[in-house]
Amino acid sequence: MSRRERIHSGWRSAPIAIFGIALLILLGGVAVIVINESTYSRARVEQTQGLADVLAATTSAAVDFDDRAAAQQAVDAFRVNNQIRLIGVFGRDGKAVAGYVRDGSPIASTIAAMPPPPENDFRIESPIVQAGQHIGTVYLDIDRESASRRASRYLILLGLFVLAALVVASLGLAQAQLRRANRELASRAEALAQANTLLEEQIEERAKAEDQLRQSQKMQALGQLTGGIAHDFNNQLTVIQGSADMLARAELPDAKRIRFAQAIVQAATNAASLTSQLLAFARRQPLKPERLDLNDLIREMDDLLDRTMGERVKIVLDLHPLACRVEVDRTQLQSAILNIASNARDAMRGKDGDGGGTLTIRTSDLGVSDGKRMVAMEIEDTGAGMNVDTMERIFEPFFTTKSMGQGTGLGLSQVYGFASQSGGEVRVRSEPGKGTALTLVLPCIDAAVTPHALAAEPGAALPPAKILVVEDNEDVGAFAETLLSELGHQVTRAATGEQALDLTRANEFDIVLSDVVMPGMGGLKLAEALAKEQPGLPVVLATGYSQEIVEGGSGGRPVILKPYRLATLSEALAQAMRRAT
Amino acid sequence: MNAGGAILRAVVGVAMLCLSMAAFAQPTDTAVKAAFLPRFARYVSWPPAAMPRGSDPFVLCVVGADPFGAALDEAARSQLIDGRRVIVRRMSSLAGVESCQIAFLGSSQFVGQMGSRPVLTVTDSASTTQRGIIHFVVAGGRVRFFIDQGKAAQRGLTISSRLLALAAGVNQ
Repeated sequence: MSRRERIHSGWRSAPIAIFGIALLILLGGVAVIVINESTYSRARVEQTQGLADVLAATTSAAVDFDDRAAAQQAVDAFRVNNQIRLIGVFGRDGKAVAGYVRDGSPIASTIAAMPPPPENDFRIESPIVQAGQHIGTVYLDIDRESASRRASRYLILLGLFVLAALVVASLGLAQAQLRRANRELASRAEALAQANTLLEEQIEERAKAEDQLRQSQKMQALGQLTGGIAHDFNNQLTVIQGSADMLARAELPDAKRIRFAQAIVQAATNAASLTSQLLAFARRQPLKPERLDLNDLIREMDDLLDRTMGERVKIVLDLHPLACRVEVDRTQLQSAILNIASNARDAMRGKDGDGGGTLTIRTSDLGVSDGKRMVAMEIEDTGAGMNVDTMERIFEPFFTTKSMGQGTGLGLSQVYGFASQSGGEVRVRSEPGKGTALTLVLPCIDAAVTPHALAAEPGAALPPAKILVVEDNEDVGAFAETLLSELGHQVTRAATGEQALDLTRANEFDIVLSDVVMPGMGGLKLAEALAKEQPGLPVVLATGYSQEIVEGGSGGRPVILKPYRLATLSEALAQAMRRAT
Repeated sequence: MNAGGAILRAVVGVAMLCLSMAAFAQPTDTAVKAAFLPRFARYVSWPPAAMPRGSDPFVLCVVGADPFGAALDEAARSQLIDGRRVIVRRMSSLAGVESCQIAFLGSSQFVGQMGSRPVLTVTDSASTTQRGIIHFVVAGGRVRFFIDQGKAAQRGLTISSRLLALAAGVNQ
C-alpha cells in the first residue's frame, strides 16, 4: 500500500518534470538560434563592410573629381543586391555625390541630413581614402537578415514549439495511461485480496469439514471395532453362560459336567486370545523380547505349519543364512507367522474349498538402510490375490473378506501391531489371481542368541506357602484367593499397594502376587518399595494390560498375563520362589 | 532717411548676395580644372627617381601662361599626397621642369619639347591643340579629360585604372 502511494506521489511531480523538459528544449532551441543569429550577423557585417570598402575604392576617383555620373554608375552596380536598403556616397565636404534608396526615395543631400537606419538594418560606414587622404565616405544600410532567413527562423521556432507541445502531449498521455494502469492495478490488488480472504474462509470451512469427516470416520471405525468385539465376545459368552447353566443342574452326570467345564475353559481361552490380539494391534501387548535366529524359528515351526496348512498346500522353505539375529517376542512372532499362513491357506482354498497351492517362506538380508540393518521374512502364496481396495484395508481390525464365523478380522492386525512394536514393518504385494506376498521386515540385533528354554523348568509343585495377593478388583482377588487356597496355600489379600506394604511390615510372607494397575500405589511401585524393605521377598506381577510395563518393562520381575490359568499361576509362583532362594 | 530708401537698399543687398551665392555654387571651368590638377597626383605613380626626396612636397608646375591664378594655390593647399604637401611653381620656360612631378603646359610648343621626362604633363583644349598625357576638355557642360596612357608609359608613369575610368577617352 505504502509503495503504491510512493509511486503515486512520484508521478504527481511528473507534470513539472515534463514541462521542465519541454522548457529546456525550447530554451535550448532559442539559444541555438540566438548563437546562430549572432554568428550570422557578424558574418553579415563583415561581408557588408567588404561591400562598402569595395564601393569606397571604386568611387574614390569619381568622388575626388566630383564625377557624379561615374559614382552613380558604381553605386548602381550594387543595386542587384536586394538586401541593400540604402547606399550613400558623400564627398569630403559631406555632400552627397551619388546614392540609392531601395524604396526609390532620393538620397539625403548631406551626411547630416541622413536619417538613422531602421531598427532592423545595419549601417556600415567606409571612408574613401586615396593616397592617404580622406576624400569622402560611403554609407551602406543593409537588412539585418533576408526575408527567407527570417521566415526559416520563425519556422524553426514554430517547429520547436510544436516539438515541445508534442513532448508535453505525449508525456502527458503516457502519464495519464500510467495513472489509469495504476488505478486498475490497485483495484485488481483489492480484488485479489478479497479473493484471498474468500479462499482462506473456504480453506477454514474445508478444514472444519475434514475434521468432522475424520471424526465420523473415527466413530465408524470405533463402531466396527466395538461391533466386532461384541460379536466375538458374545459367541464366547454364550458358550460360557450355557455351560454354566448346564453345570448348575443337580442331576448332571460327571462326564457331562467335565465337558461343560472344558467348554467354559475353551471359550474363555478364545476370548483371551481375542483380547490379546486386540492389544497386539493396539501395540499395547506386553512383549517379552528375546534374541533369536529367524531361520531357526521357522524351521521349528515346520511341523506346526504343515498341520495348519493341510495336505493340499505344499510348503517350501527358502531360507538364506542371515548375518544377524532379531530381538522379538517369540510367541507373537509365531502368531504372526501363523496368522499370515492361515490367511494364505484360505486364499488358496478356492470357492469349492478343495484348492491347493504352494506357500513359500523366504528369508533374506536387506543390508543396512538408514543406519539400521534389516532382515526380511517373506511369506508368499499362490492364492487368489487381492485388489487394491482390499489391500488398503487388510490391517484394519475386524476387516475380513471371510464369511461370518470364518475369521475374526484380527489376524493381520496382530501382524501389523507386532511388526510396528518390534521396530519393523509389514509390506504387502498382491494382485488379483497372482497370489499375495507379505513381508515382515525386522531390525537386526548384533548379539548372541538367547537360548530358548522350551518348557521352562519341570513344573515342580509349589510347596504350601504364605502368599499376599494384592488386587484392587474384588472378583479377581477372590478368584485368586480361592484358586491358591485350593492348592493348599495360606492367602492374605490386600486391596491397595499401601495396605500390602503395611501387611508385609506386620506379617511374614513367602511371596507377593500383585496386580500392576491399581489406584494409588501400583504394582511396580510396591515391588520397588518391597525390594528396599524386604529384599528377600519375591514379587510376581500380574497384568491384563499395562502402559508402564510396555514402556519401561518390569525391572526383571516375572510377569503373568491376565487372564491366567491355574497352571500358569502356580508355575510362575514356583519359579519366583526358586529364584529367590 | 525715409522708409522707401531703406527697403530699396535691402532689396539690392539681397540681390547681390544671391548673385555671389550663385557664383559660389557654380564654379567656373577654370576653377574646376585648378581643383583637379593637384588631385591627379593621387592616381599616378612615378618612377622612384622622379619622386620628391625625403618628405619634400610634390611640385606642381605651371609652365607659360597661368589661367588659374590663386584658385590653383588654394586647391593645392588642401591636398596631401601620401602625406606630402603640394606646392605650385610657376615658370616661363621648361628650364628646371625636371623637378616637377606634374606640369601644366600653357602652350603647345612646350608639349613637343618635353621629351621623355617622367613628368605628368597636363594640357587644356582651351589653350593648346597639342595634348599632354592628360588633356582637359569641356563636354556637356562638364570638365572632362582625355588620358594618353601610351605616352605615360613611355615616360615611366603608371596611371590608376580608377582615373582611367573617369576619362572621356583613353589613348593606349
